[in-house]
Amino acid sequence: MKEILNNLLRRKMRSTLTISGIVIGIFALTTMGALAEHFNSMLAVGVQYAGTAIAVKPPAEQQASLLPLATGSQISRVPGVAAVYPAYQVMADVSGTIQLGPPSLIVNEQRGVSAYGMPAMTFASGRDLAGGARGEVILGSAMATSYGKRVGDTFGLPLRPRGATADFVSHRFTVVGVLAKTGNPTDDFAQVSDADARMLMADTLPPAVRSAVDVNAFTQSFDVYAARGTSLAELDRIAQRINDTVSGVQTQKPSEMVANFESTSTTFTAIFTGAALLALLIGGLSVVNTMIMAVGERVREIGLKKAVGAHTGQVLAEYLLEAAVIGAIGGLAGYGLGLGLTTLVDRLGSSGSLDIFLVTPRLSAIALGFAVALATIAGILPALRAARLDPVTALRSL
Amino acid sequence: MADIQLVNLTRTYRQGSHTVTALDGVDLRIPSGEFTSIVGRSGSGKTTLLDVAGLLLRPSGGAVLIDGEDTSRLSDGRRADLRARRIGFVFQEYNLLPALNVVENVMLACRYSGGARGNGRRRALELLDMVGLGERLHHRPDQLSGGQQQRVAIARALVNRPALVLGDEPTGAVDSQTSDELVRLMRTLNREEGVTFVVVTHDLDLAAQTDRVVRLADGRVVADERAGAPAVACA
Repeated sequence: MKEILNNLLRRKMRSTLTISGIVIGIFALTTMGALAEHFNSMLAVGVQYAGTAIAVKPPAEQQASLLPLATGSQISRVPGVAAVYPAYQVMADVSGTIQLGPPSLIVNEQRGVSAYGMPAMTFASGRDLAGGARGEVILGSAMATSYGKRVGDTFGLPLRPRGATADFVSHRFTVVGVLAKTGNPTDDFAQVSDADARMLMADTLPPAVRSAVDVNAFTQSFDVYAARGTSLAELDRIAQRINDTVSGVQTQKPSEMVANFESTSTTFTAIFTGAALLALLIGGLSVVNTMIMAVGERVREIGLKKAVGAHTGQVLAEYLLEAAVIGAIGGLAGYGLGLGLTTLVDRLGSSGSLDIFLVTPRLSAIALGFAVALATIAGILPALRAARLDPVTALRSL
Repeated sequence: MADIQLVNLTRTYRQGSHTVTALDGVDLRIPSGEFTSIVGRSGSGKTTLLDVAGLLLRPSGGAVLIDGEDTSRLSDGRRADLRARRIGFVFQEYNLLPALNVVENVMLACRYSGGARGNGRRRALELLDMVGLGERLHHRPDQLSGGQQQRVAIARALVNRPALVLGDEPTGAVDSQTSDELVRLMRTLNREEGVTFVVVTHDLDLAAQTDRVVRLADGRVVADERAGAPAVACA
């Protein structure tokens, strides 16, 4: 190992340029891979939701997103349905500001939903909403950080935009709990009780509609759950039964939603990974070039090693190891730079709920492993060339 | 120590459309512990003889016997093992690895002989002391003179306690004073370590200090004289 490092140091400029090729490639793989991992983790939540709950919405031709709460009773009588929850979703930030990352939403609690396969909530601080309580809110980790809220603070929802009209209504809520970070869109959610969610939904309706409609009799959609562990195929069948037996609603087959999410995930991964691989290939070519030059310069050394008893395989192994070390150094440096940049960007963007990178252990292993593997593969031809040198010719070369 | 026997050695190679005979039926026996020089004009086959005796080159015909073992049938790997354990080399251009210091260069030969690292280091330090480089253990080759580098190469050749040391113009790249010092060193090591030395040289002063001078011409042994004995002309 000392010999390898000394040989790299003897040609500082060349070694630096070669390793830089790997650094750039692994930096690209780490950052783009972290982008893909983040999107994939968000999509994974979508897959989990789509693969567990059946979303029941108004039919496509009905543009107003309102369903009678009484429809829930009809849905609950469909064979295979274990639970029906009304689902409300209101924008927390109505300013219209364009933001990267998932939107901040106010949703209603779905108490007990973990019994049907949805992940249980984990609190970083505070507690769950008291049953039926008004004026309480649980914040996702990103939302709490973005708005600087802790348990016990009051929070106006929806957020009052700059220049709001006098009749803009922002209700005061008390933060009773902050959820632990999950890395998925629920970090940007605020959860309130069903009654408060209906109140907030009503605020989104035109005043004329609000006065004509009993908003307490409506929901925006339903989340329908089957027994824990129900297969995707069976969920599809339940969704079809709902479509067939309950009027005024529309469901999408969970398997279709899962397929959409997975297709999107594959596309993201392919785009980001492809770009990074391209950069890596360039790094690999620079390793090939450097190793060929190294073998050419060290022909007599190779002859000497064979003269003192090195087998062909041992010479091959030494040069492959040298290539692998180049890959390891470049990989560590590129990974370190990528990790640093992604951490910095996420930290800088945390105030705006901009968390767009996710460096997972899997990504770290891939980045570092790929660097070593690529460099080693790139070193095969030069190493074979070295190993096959005739010792007599090599010793007497100029 | 080892008894080296070259039996009817021939070595030919193609040069364009011609066949060149570098060795033409060389018969030579070198008893263990002897210090032999091989002299001759350029093209006489000296270096080829060294390469074949050192198992770096396979003969076209004949055999190289080391302690009676015919090496011509051995695989490349087995020949490499023999070189690692039983043969040391000293080259005109030293051939030290610039990335390693003095001790590491001497221990390079241990890397491929399968010996324990600790033993190799002890032996390397002992030899470096013997060759007068005990104070320069961590110097790099570019920090040493030509004579000092050749001393390192001699130590490297002896680190695995070989039976045979082959020198290819070992004094060819140094001045006369250094050359004398190196020859005295090799003589001392030949006596104290009991290692058989065979050196190829143009340096007649060096040859005169060896136990035996074998002269080659056109790939054949034409003279073989021992120190203090009448010269033997070979047909």
